Amino acid sequence: MTALAPQDRPESRTSDSPSPAPPSAAPHERSSPLSRVGGYLGLLLVILVVALPLYWILISSLKERPDIYTVPVTWVPDPFTAANYSRVGTGVAFTDYLRNSIIITTVLTVVEVTLGVLSAFALAFLRFPGRSLVLLFVIASLMVPNQVTVISNYALVAQLGWRNTFAGIIVPLAGVAFGTFLLRNHFLSLPKEIIEAAEMDAAGPLKMLWRVVLPMSWPTLIAFVLITIVTEWNQYLWPLLMADDSSTAPLPVGLAQLQDTAGLTNWGPVMAGTVLTMLPILVIFLLLQRHMIKGLTAGAVKG
Amino acid sequence: MSAQPIAATRGTSSASAPPAGTPARPAAKAGANPPGHRRRDILLAAAFLLPNLVLLVAFTYRPLVDNIRLSFTDWNISAPMASFIGVDNYVEWFTSDDSQLVLWNTVVFTGAAVLGSMVIGLALALLLDQKLFGRNAVRSLVFAPFVLAGAAVGVAFQFVFDPTFGLVQDLLGRVGVEAPAFYQDPEWALFMVTVTYIWKNLGYTFVIYLAALQGRRAELDEAAEIDAASTWTKFRRVTWPQLRPATFFLLITVLLNSFQVFDVIDTMTRGGPLGNGTTTMVYQVYQETFVNQRAGFGATVATIMFLALLVITLVQVRVMERGREA
Amino acid sequence: MNPLDRRRFLQLSGLTLGAVGLSACAGTGSTEQSGDGGPVETLTMWSNHPGESKPVESQLLDAFTEETGIAVNLVTAGASYEEAAQRFNAALSGGELPDVVIASDVTWFNFALNDAITPMDDLWQAVGVDTAGYVDSLREDYEFEGAHYALPYARSTPLYYYNKPMWAAAGLPDRGPETWAEFAEWAPRLAAANPAVAPMVVPDGSNYLDWYFQGMIWTFGGAYSDEWEPTFTSPESLEAGRFLQDMYRQNFIAISNDANNQFGAAQAASLLQSTGSLGGLKETAQFEFGTAFLPGPPPGTPTGGAGLTIPANISDERKEAAMQLIAFLTNTDNTVTFSQATGYMPVRQDAIDDPEMVAYLEENPNARTALEQLAVTAPQDYARVFLPGGGARIGAGLDRITIGGEDVETVFRQLGEESQQVYERDIEPKL
Repeated sequence: MTALAPQDRPESRTSDSPSPAPPSAAPHERSSPLSRVGGYLGLLLVILVVALPLYWILISSLKERPDIYTVPVTWVPDPFTAANYSRVGTGVAFTDYLRNSIIITTVLTVVEVTLGVLSAFALAFLRFPGRSLVLLFVIASLMVPNQVTVISNYALVAQLGWRNTFAGIIVPLAGVAFGTFLLRNHFLSLPKEIIEAAEMDAAGPLKMLWRVVLPMSWPTLIAFVLITIVTEWNQYLWPLLMADDSSTAPLPVGLAQLQDTAGLTNWGPVMAGTVLTMLPILVIFLLLQRHMIKGLTAGAVKG
Repeated sequence: MSAQPIAATRGTSSASAPPAGTPARPAAKAGANPPGHRRRDILLAAAFLLPNLVLLVAFTYRPLVDNIRLSFTDWNISAPMASFIGVDNYVEWFTSDDSQLVLWNTVVFTGAAVLGSMVIGLALALLLDQKLFGRNAVRSLVFAPFVLAGAAVGVAFQFVFDPTFGLVQDLLGRVGVEAPAFYQDPEWALFMVTVTYIWKNLGYTFVIYLAALQGRRAELDEAAEIDAASTWTKFRRVTWPQLRPATFFLLITVLLNSFQVFDVIDTMTRGGPLGNGTTTMVYQVYQETFVNQRAGFGATVATIMFLALLVITLVQVRVMERGREA
Repeated sequence: MNPLDRRRFLQLSGLTLGAVGLSACAGTGSTEQSGDGGPVETLTMWSNHPGESKPVESQLLDAFTEETGIAVNLVTAGASYEEAAQRFNAALSGGELPDVVIASDVTWFNFALNDAITPMDDLWQAVGVDTAGYVDSLREDYEFEGAHYALPYARSTPLYYYNKPMWAAAGLPDRGPETWAEFAEWAPRLAAANPAVAPMVVPDGSNYLDWYFQGMIWTFGGAYSDEWEPTFTSPESLEAGRFLQDMYRQNFIAISNDANNQFGAAQAASLLQSTGSLGGLKETAQFEFGTAFLPGPPPGTPTGGAGLTIPANISDERKEAAMQLIAFLTNTDNTVTFSQATGYMPVRQDAIDDPEMVAYLEENPNARTALEQLAVTAPQDYARVFLPGGGARIGAGLDRITIGGEDVETVFRQLGEESQQVYERDIEPKL
């Protein structure tokens, strides 16, 4: 089944600025009034089910402490308070943690995307012995839970003298398995004719990667970038073990000190911290989602 | 210079079909490949792959090998030394009643998570693929839980399931029905953590299916409409086959992810009630290693888990291959 | 038996790695931050800041630096004692060790048993720690085979919290029940006077029910264990188990995943909870509540919380400096400061006479309860705190006899057998 995808229109795709057709232009989007009504009912249901817990996180962060746990539940904070947010801002070295999170996430994203592209390119287009085994090797690394790796990696990184450094946090997380898998699938789905034409031109592999393969892959790459950002931004266990103080600790670790498992956690500031941690990623998502929605499955979808 | 090698391999190995493919498939055609070209490919592949492979070897496989060795010991997490005890840990795991429950929990959780998040993700994608007002906002909304840290999700869902503060008891109470004891009945507790995880993971399956829908072939849809096929027939005959590769991709990745869920379970139930009502294999790894301090036994559970996942994934790939050929 | 030296093993892995590009470091697992012999200039302390105590900890550490010239690097080792222990365990297999590390009532023993933390008695002598000044029971909690492995720091005890308006509605005197039998008498009156409200709520087995029930089982004359000998099946222990089960069945004791907030939202008339919850409840509860001793006869309650320990594999100079630091953090002035900031109990006997403390207790009578109750506490049973996973194991058993409705004798017999098995497998060979 060779699907007719945006990539099948090379002339509009090989340019550097990808302009995915607006979704509304797709011809299959026709619906009868009846299915419209059903659609809106569905939308309403989705909003209810998916948004409620999100809404609860948000209002908990805006409530005063006694109002968080009440019977019956209170749906609207009364009174509204921003105190939880200022507590996060002043009680912990928020800006330091934010800076560290940005550094760690940015470096990891750049490194992982680079390594992922190169690995996927090799696995998709280059012929070498044991290629399937290498792919299996990459995918199987997704099966090792991090509870298994942390102790052993801690010892190694400490021996390298990298504890409480960005290198110590970043390097052990930099191997790319999911992205390699995703991109390799995407590369294999690119239209044969174009790849063959590039080969005919005797373009070197690097040139082919830059001039032909990557320009046709921006959407998938963006998807990969987004998923990487989400994953690395939320890393907790490993940075917790590596970072000693606010010089390297990222947000999730920094905000952990707001919790109090021995007593009664004050959830207001914790929820405020959660919202603040989530916001930058949501902004990035909103900026990139259009491309991502077009891109994420390009590799997975087509044979 | 011939384009054949690349075309040949691309043609025979399939998009999302990783490992099981036979490595030496294009052997006959390999002869046609100019030797220089071939050597260049090997060198280049090495240069492209090695940095990544070195990282994976150093920080994933080296610990895995450590882990496998330790699974044959009685290592206490705080001890400097461990003694080899052969396969005792494996015998213990396979003969223990607890393991049966843990395995059952893992199968139910993973199965429901894979099925639930894929079916609902697909339904949402079908819905939001239509031209509806406000769908972009709703798309973002569906993706948002995926961005949340698991621990925050666990806390937020207390306000859904808690017998005192939860929305479910509030809503059911209004119609005079008593809410199930989500935190106390092991089966409901497992239901609770599963639903919570599905909610969190929905964004991922949704987006993949949505993109698959957007990339589908319009002319097939139109043909179906001319045939005046019913909606269901249209979906089954035209849409679903085009979604198959996405489905297989999701089957593998969602299964691997949900098998290893830790933080949602930890914040909601700590593996309880009744001790291990919601303990899955990865939670057992944590529990044995860090709470019971039996790191050797924890390593055994982790090794069994790794092997199980490896086998499952290989089977999935085989099935996928067959489905593709059919 | 072929002993495997994990450190060497890990180094070998490191060497393998060196072959593919990264350099393997030749250092041993436990590295010391400064050379031997020289004066210690910096110490590192790992804490999970119990009771949201990071600000007060930093404040005390600054004072220490001012006094001694030794800087202290305060590290957040996690959000819970479990995470802090996990981090320390990671460091034990070959990382940089801290100089002072926090350990809870259930985590310190395994470190001691595996020689990961230092016996302190000699250090006390060397540094001149006034050990007699500590509350005896709190200090002796860390004794094992004649040596002490920690000093008490953030120590708590369960309290009996009760909702005064609900008490008044039931016509009960303004105090906690003196015995569990008295609670059983009061419970129907509380239930009748306060419909749809549980007379008492306790945390479930995933939230340390095993800690609270320990006091209850003692008042019946039972125990989890007598030293290493499990005693779950003694008639007294079984009676306590049946009492809990009976109270649960009659809806006089509710078991909750979030007992704190259930009480705080006036959904239960009384609560068994740690002193650590006092501050939080004070801010949350919109009604007047009192605190009382756990029902007797004494001892009706254990203590819990955390102490400060010193890793075994650091230099003697560092150990002495670390000891100095711990002594400083737990001296009378500082334990009073820490106690007031967090709600934990002061760990020194004369703290109760400290003018600052007197004024504080004057204003916070509920905090006084915990201090006075100290006299009737007892050290915890080995089966809970010394056996690996003991707390979780017993908590699960208590879940089973209450919310699971299983037979007490069957469950307790299993608990006894499992505890014995764990002892023989994990502990006995190391004694």
